[in-house]
Formats: sequence, structure tokens, C-alpha cells
Amino acid sequence: MKNSLRELRTGKGWTQEQLGQALGVSRQAVNALETEKHDPSLDLAYRIAALFERAVEDVFDNPHA
Amino acid sequence: MASWKTMDPAHKRYVIRTNMFMTGYVLVNVAAIFGAFDEIIGKAAGVVLGLCVAAPIAGQLWATLSLMNEADEFVRALTAKRFVIASGLAMALFSGWGFAESYGGAWHAPGWLIYPLFWGLFGLISPFVKSTGR
Repeated sequence: MKNSLRELRTGKGWTQEQLGQALGVSRQAVNALETEKHDPSLDLAYRIAALFERAVEDVFDNPHA
Repeated sequence: MASWKTMDPAHKRYVIRTNMFMTGYVLVNVAAIFGAFDEIIGKAAGVVLGLCVAAPIAGQLWATLSLMNEADEFVRALTAKRFVIASGLAMALFSGWGFAESYGGAWHAPGWLIYPLFWGLFGLISPFVKSTGR
């Protein structure tokens, strides 16, 4: 799923490891999200959106819209 | 592959448990190869030996399920996908070999080979299965 996670993360100056710690997931999970190898669960998508204080659809493109 | 220092606690526990169960499995098999159990062939003790080999395999499955339970959703989904592909391939190959043995004169493959075959396939497919989706 296309997303702007990498841009949001680097905008904050965080590493994948740091973002993973903030979200409670592994660095591998962050990398998989950024490279579109993993579609997040609704719960994780909301956690990410809340962390960056954005709406979910500002972070993840809605493929059905 | 993360180093021990950078590995998360769930993966560290998985590595420790895997080494523990694999050591037991390998020791029993090496002892069998060197004839340590030849005297119990055909006796009831042979059945107990079979259970001794099965126990570390069951333990390894528990270790894998524990990893999936303790890890994040990406690791959980990726492990499940790799497990399904590797077990499916192992079953297909072994079932096919069984028929090749019965009807095609292929040499006999002992049943215990399915376990190393499964993990071999798991290792083989892992570098190619990196996404949790399609």
C-alpha cells in the first residue's frame, strides 16, 4: 500500500529503529511498511497516524477511493 | 539478519529455544547413525525412541508459534506465509516421492526426512518471500 511513512519519518529525523520503538514494532516491520511489502492492520495504521498527528488517509493512500 | 546485540527479545528467545531443541534432535539422530540404538530395533523401546525424536520437533513448532505470538504483525504474517509455503512444498515433494517409490522404482526415503526437508525448504524460500501480501 502506497504511503508517505518514509517522508514523515525522515521529516522528524528518526531512524527506522526509532520509529519502530515508538510504534512497538520491529525495524523490519517499519522497513516493510515503507517499501510496501506489508499492508498494516487497521490498529497499526491508526497508531502510525496518531504518532504523526495525521489522518490515516494522509499517511496511507486509499486504494479504493 | 540482525545480530544478537540488535535482536529483539522475542527473536533471542526463539534462537535459544531453537538451538535447544535442534541440539536434542541432532544428538538423537547422530547417535542413531552411529548405531547407538541398534539393539532395540524391533522392540517396544524403539517406539519410545520414536517419541524422543518427535519431542524436539514438537518443541520447535512451539518455539515458532511463540515467536509469532510475541513478535509484531509483520514478523507474524511473514513467518506464517513462509511456513505455509515450506510445509506445502515439503508435503508435495514427499507425497510425490512416495508414489515415485511405489510405482517408479525410486529409492526408499525414510519418513523422518520430512523434517529436515521442511526446514531446508523454509531456509531456501525465505530470501524470496519477503512480503506479507501477494
